[in-house]
Amino acid sequence: MKYNYFPGCASEGTALANYHAFLAVAKKLGIELNEIEDWNCCGATVTSSVIGEFPAQVLAARNLALAEKQQRDTDIVTTCSSCYAILGLTNNKFADEEFKKKANEALKEDELEYTGNLNVRFLLDVLVNDIGVEKIEAAAEKPLKGLKVAGYVGCQSVKALRGHYDDPEYPESLDKIIRALGAEAVEFENSNKCCTGALALTAPEITVSAVHPIIDGAAKAGADLIVTPCPLCQMNLDAYQAKANKQFQTNNNLPVLFITQLMALAFGLSRKEAGLDYCIVSPYQKLSNWV
Amino acid sequence: MSGADGVKRYDPEFTKRVYKMDNGKWVKMCMQCGICPTTCTLRDIMDHSPRRIIQLIRAGDKEQVLKSNTLWLCTSCYTCACRCPRGVPMMDVMHDLRHLAEEEGYITNQSHMAKVYYNDVAKRGRIWEGGLTMKYGLKIGIGNALKMAREMQDVGMEMLKHKRLSIFPPKGVKNPAKLRAVLQKAAALAKEEG
Ligand code: SF4
Ligand code: SF4
Ligand code: SF4
Ligand code: SF4
Repeated sequence: MKYNYFPGCASEGTALANYHAFLAVAKKLGIELNEIEDWNCCGATVTSSVIGEFPAQVLAARNLALAEKQQRDTDIVTTCSSCYAILGLTNNKFADEEFKKKANEALKEDELEYTGNLNVRFLLDVLVNDIGVEKIEAAAEKPLKGLKVAGYVGCQSVKALRGHYDDPEYPESLDKIIRALGAEAVEFENSNKCCTGALALTAPEITVSAVHPIIDGAAKAGADLIVTPCPLCQMNLDAYQAKANKQFQTNNNLPVLFITQLMALAFGLSRKEAGLDYCIVSPYQKLSNWV
Repeated sequence: MSGADGVKRYDPEFTKRVYKMDNGKWVKMCMQCGICPTTCTLRDIMDHSPRRIIQLIRAGDKEQVLKSNTLWLCTSCYTCACRCPRGVPMMDVMHDLRHLAEEEGYITNQSHMAKVYYNDVAKRGRIWEGGLTMKYGLKIGIGNALKMAREMQDVGMEMLKHKRLSIFPPKGVKNPAKLRAVLQKAAALAKEEG
């Protein structure tokens, strides 16, 4: 399996762990990832407020054009919910001939062009539907027996492109992977609530109030840790957990890992390859059997 | 109709302007059923519900719409879009409104952040997350920045300790000037249309 890989800006900063763990896991699974050369920020959901919707879509489309130029007919895979939503929605716009013409007129300024022929895929989709749970199960040399894991999918990766690969309200892909790794996927309250994403930077008090019920829900359900595929969710649940404990007088101590990190561990990769040191809430006690 | 200060409150031109924006058609599609507020992540702290925002646009109540915190509190979670019987992507409507609010000079913390973020994109093609907060701090003024630094010190220290914030900007795109040319062209094309 071969892909055009779009890592997104978070992979160069707050989500370095995800970047490294995904590369290591992909290698184990025989996934060939070719990072889109010279990719640019997809613009997230904030750029359009400054330059307007169309230019923001063109910004995202530059990546699609680069991918097509570098590897034709090869799906794009991304590990960030927000990037997936933006790139995927922009990709869909290319079905509209008028949009396509206009966008390509702008892309010509960088000698680029895009046909609209690629698929934009999210990490979980690729793992479950291209690789398959059987293969993941087979690669799990050190199954996570006895570990209780709360899978937090977040919203954008399932709700923005509704029904692309999973149910937007009751997603299952993440839990399937957790189970394939030998762990128990626990159901928990508020698993479908939003963590408030990028508001964490400008209105942290709102984010603290939003992450609390999610973390608390997972803790009450008996989870040892939380996993998520999304860089923003990971950061909010991990970095704001202490603040939430303080504000709501709780003692929750739930490590928050990227699903790629949990896979790396189950695949028998080292603590370094799994990027565990990047975790703010220490995962070492809960994972002592596997590290 | 005029407000107490004699300024026209209901402006049909505003309604027309929103209708003409990228997601204007959705504003027309809404049937005011009221499902979106019940699903909305931050409805409790929004000054107007998403449904009400649509109603206010239709009424031409420009001031109420553009100064509303709803535009900026929308997290783009897409939950409303999943449940709306008309499939209205409310966050996309909000994005259009944010752009209008920016143009009309309505300033919020989130619009400051959006600017700082975009400047990074235009300058380097990629976001340097570590630098974002710093530049945002400059933008919101020294007093506010110090307050933020105090309140966020714990989070910031942990982020640094676990190497989650890069101290130096990672490399950007090879030719940011060309990227800017693409964006300028796109903006020009969007203008032609509007
Ligand atoms: S959405 Fe976030 S992670 Fe993705 S490219 Fe944009 S800034 Fe980077
Ligand atoms: S759960 Fe958090 S990161 Fe994920 S889409 Fe919602 S706000 Fe964004
Ligand atoms: S759910 Fe849809 S139709 Fe109903 S009020 Fe909201 S936007 Fe309008
Ligand atoms: S997308 Fe925005 S308006 Fe819709 S539910 Fe989420 S926060 Fe509310």
